[in-house]
Amino acid sequence: MNRRTFLTTLLAATASPLLLARSARAIGPGSQLEVGVLRYGGNFDPRPTALRRMLQEVEKRTSIAIAPRTVQVDPLDRDALFSHPLLFWAGDRSFDPLPDAARANLGAWLGAGGTLVIDSAEGRVGGPFEEAARREVAAMLPGRRFVAVPRSHVLYKSFYLIPEPVGRVAVAQTMEGVFGEDRALVLLSHNDLLGAWARDNLGNYEYDVFPGGDRQREMALRLGINIIMYTLCINYKEDQVHVPFILKRRKWKVE
Amino acid sequence: MGDFNQIDLLFLGDFGVWVLILLGLLGAAVLGLSWYDLRDMSPLRRGVLVGLRLLVYAIAVVLLLEPAVELKHVTKIKNHVAVLVDTSRSQTLQVDEGETRLGRAQAFLQRDAVQRLLTTPHEDHLFDLFTFDQGVNPTTLQGAVDPKLPAEGDATRILEAVEDVTNRVGRRDLGGFVLLSDGIDSGLLGGRVRRGEGLDQETRAFIERLGVPIHVRTTARSEGLRDLAVEQVLYDDFAFVRNKVSVDVVLRVVGFEPATIPVTLRREGELLQTQEVEVGPDATEYRVTFEFVPQQIGKEIYSISAPGYSGEALRENNRKDFVLKVIRDKIRALQVVGQPSWDERFLRQLLKNNPNVDLISFFILRTNENVQLVPNDELSLIPFPTRELFEDELGSFDVVLFQNFNFRPYGMSQYLPRIADYVRDGGGFAMIGGELSFTSGGYYGTALADILPVRIPPPGAREAMVDTREFVPQLEEAGLRHPITQLAFDPALNREAWAALPPLEGTNLVLGPQEGATVLAAHPQIQANGQPLPVVTVQEVGEGRSMAVTTDTTWRWAMEGVGQGATSRPYFAFWNAAIRWLIQDPELKLLKVEVAETVVPPGGDAHVNVRLVRSDYAPAAGVTGQLDLLFRPLAALDGQEAEATTALQRPFTTDDRGLVELTLPVDQPGAWTVRAAATTEAGKLTDEDIFLVTLDTQELRSIQPREDLLQQLAQASGGSYAALPDDDADDLTFKPARVTQVNRRRVIEVWDSLAVFALICALLAAEWMLRRRWGRL
Repeated sequence: MNRRTFLTTLLAATASPLLLARSARAIGPGSQLEVGVLRYGGNFDPRPTALRRMLQEVEKRTSIAIAPRTVQVDPLDRDALFSHPLLFWAGDRSFDPLPDAARANLGAWLGAGGTLVIDSAEGRVGGPFEEAARREVAAMLPGRRFVAVPRSHVLYKSFYLIPEPVGRVAVAQTMEGVFGEDRALVLLSHNDLLGAWARDNLGNYEYDVFPGGDRQREMALRLGINIIMYTLCINYKEDQVHVPFILKRRKWKVE
Repeated sequence: MGDFNQIDLLFLGDFGVWVLILLGLLGAAVLGLSWYDLRDMSPLRRGVLVGLRLLVYAIAVVLLLEPAVELKHVTKIKNHVAVLVDTSRSQTLQVDEGETRLGRAQAFLQRDAVQRLLTTPHEDHLFDLFTFDQGVNPTTLQGAVDPKLPAEGDATRILEAVEDVTNRVGRRDLGGFVLLSDGIDSGLLGGRVRRGEGLDQETRAFIERLGVPIHVRTTARSEGLRDLAVEQVLYDDFAFVRNKVSVDVVLRVVGFEPATIPVTLRREGELLQTQEVEVGPDATEYRVTFEFVPQQIGKEIYSISAPGYSGEALRENNRKDFVLKVIRDKIRALQVVGQPSWDERFLRQLLKNNPNVDLISFFILRTNENVQLVPNDELSLIPFPTRELFEDELGSFDVVLFQNFNFRPYGMSQYLPRIADYVRDGGGFAMIGGELSFTSGGYYGTALADILPVRIPPPGAREAMVDTREFVPQLEEAGLRHPITQLAFDPALNREAWAALPPLEGTNLVLGPQEGATVLAAHPQIQANGQPLPVVTVQEVGEGRSMAVTTDTTWRWAMEGVGQGATSRPYFAFWNAAIRWLIQDPELKLLKVEVAETVVPPGGDAHVNVRLVRSDYAPAAGVTGQLDLLFRPLAALDGQEAEATTALQRPFTTDDRGLVELTLPVDQPGAWTVRAAATTEAGKLTDEDIFLVTLDTQELRSIQPREDLLQQLAQASGGSYAALPDDDADDLTFKPARVTQVNRRRVIEVWDSLAVFALICALLAAEWMLRRRWGRL
């Protein structure tokens, strides 16, 4: 840890209690962003602390009101599923096929506005978990397939400017996604994003990043914040580029 | 001539061209040789002798060609000469004291020479008289010179009239035309040939095909004419609200010394702009362009006018009124969000995916409270462009949505009164709940609080500003049929549909509705001043509308509704209807009046349609109502005080289709309003439409005679041109009649004569004698 990193961490640590102490900015719990973890069986939560830690960063760095906890969502529980439009689906090994009802629920949930972020903790591309997840997504969304998320995609500029998506590892240079008409329904990361975010109760990161460096961990956090921001704002940032043009073309004033 | 009525000169000698050329060459040789042979003589003697030889040679050649005179008695078919008298409105203008342009044409027809021409049987021609304007009508000489002959045509179509007459008589039997007009053609000719331009190819070809002369006598001259006219107003048939509109005005100014003329644009009598035009004797056409931004959807009457000046031939053409239909192109929505949330995400998606919505969003992604550990160039954030949005461009939006947005951190206090004025002037505004809205957003006591449909409490403890419990909003009586909350047409079913919606969570606490506001849905448990707490409330604010939704969880209707086995439709229906209501979408009117025409000539009919639907938009059959026809004189459009008067009141009853179709005769020039009123279960409904009654004819817009055009027409056809009253009918010649049969024929051979033979002998003898006397053999 160099001096700059130390000072940054110290500042963040000092500021955290203040930030966490401020009043919630949403009317009720339902107005806050509560992110769920998909409970699909098997090792569904390989990085139990990661999501909460990342959401704390979201709360610190952005205006988004975050619920103080994460929840585990069973795809067979429609009430829980449809009240959480954003779910993380993590794993490090293969798993049994989901029940048909779960697949149907998740398909309807994605169509109604849900977003599924799949994070492989396997540290490689094309591992058993990833293959199983692809199988399930194909069953949920027949006729749709994964495509690479291009570097120009708004996901990489929804809050931070991200040159390359990395996580605990950097085995894949792109994320993949399954896209609907106006947004990504499913995002797939090969780089163990959650592994880069996970911290113990003392605040220490639980896993080293590879190839390494604080910058890689910071960029993994930024990507997590961008994913949250993209899910809530979709292509808003892309619109911003066009605002001056839209306003100009209106010609609504006599000059 | 005896019994013969035609004489022709013939050559009986049947020689070809080459023989004639040979004879010519031979003559030249004779001339040359003689000239050379007599070179030693004096020039006089040489000339006399050469002349005599040539004369003899010429007579010999003529004899060789055998000239003869043919006397014939033939039968002819007389062709038709059409006298066209222009009876368009411009012919009513005075040219001299007490004399109109038409009167001048009539005076020409009454001249002796013209009377003789037209009434005396002619060997070759039959004279037909027609009046013409937008059409052609046969008349008689008596009819054409009748002082009561009306000149009421709204157009002058010269080429069309010529073609019409040609078709009537047949091109073969056409002898020519006499055209009496001022040349202000508003048909093909005038459209093809602008002032100062030459005749176009198409017109020339048409005249050439006719093959007959068109003699033109113009009834008026530009010289001495003084007139200022709004000749043309060029504008699109419809305009888009809050879009700049350009109106081009063409002024025709004749007979003016250098002067500055103010030209004004008014909307419904209100002065919008004045532009000054420098005019002078060197030009007659001037152009002015007005630009303005219509702020309301519907029809509006605009007027372009210039003052009247002394000596003008016509003052009525100094103004032109027109009706502009203003429509909406796209709904221009501004969504301002204090923090990203699911409520924002779903509303943005709804607006963004609606092809009829032009959405500008601005979200606050980071506040001063947030920790920022990275340089700005690694962020994609931009400053909140408050001045651009709320000062420069605010007027361009149809609706502004404040979604869980607090204004204070962004220095926006100064813009709140502008937003309130924007709503009062016709804009739509909605405040959507959240911890950054209403009182929690700091709006208590601001200008924006005045236009909200709910009264908000002063700041206090959090518990006094928000409630975090779950609830299912209940429809109020007004919400049962209101388009915003109408999830089902039947009120009972609508209430059930609302009761089945997924619960919302958390609400902003308010004191109750503003006076005049309508609560559509309320909180089932919380009371505000003894009444259920408003959750969805709407209000008319001046010309605009406002709406308050005191929750930030309507997104649950889209998401959780699907989870419950239903659909997202309630969410989409609610917000789409809310946007349409806020922007005052005309399609949401239950009573609609439409006049088919925008301009009706005096004495014409206005065709009125009244359409009435019930709250569920089913036709309202058998409903009685009243239709009022209101009249404002044109002076009211000039900004003068003029009361609208009721010209007609008529009760109506809708048919099975909920329709009433009426034809209303109107006569007085002015602005007319059709207002319909009917009472249904939705309450008293009213609507109105406007139209203009004016004699909007191009005939009186451009009254400067077109002498140049008429002159070119005459020249191209081989006819004569003159300006009345300085001319008579001496040079009126036409195409000869067509011969169909030779009854008798006699040929007198001129060459077969002793006298000609003797002449040749005498000339030869004279040449021989003179040559001998002057010393040559």
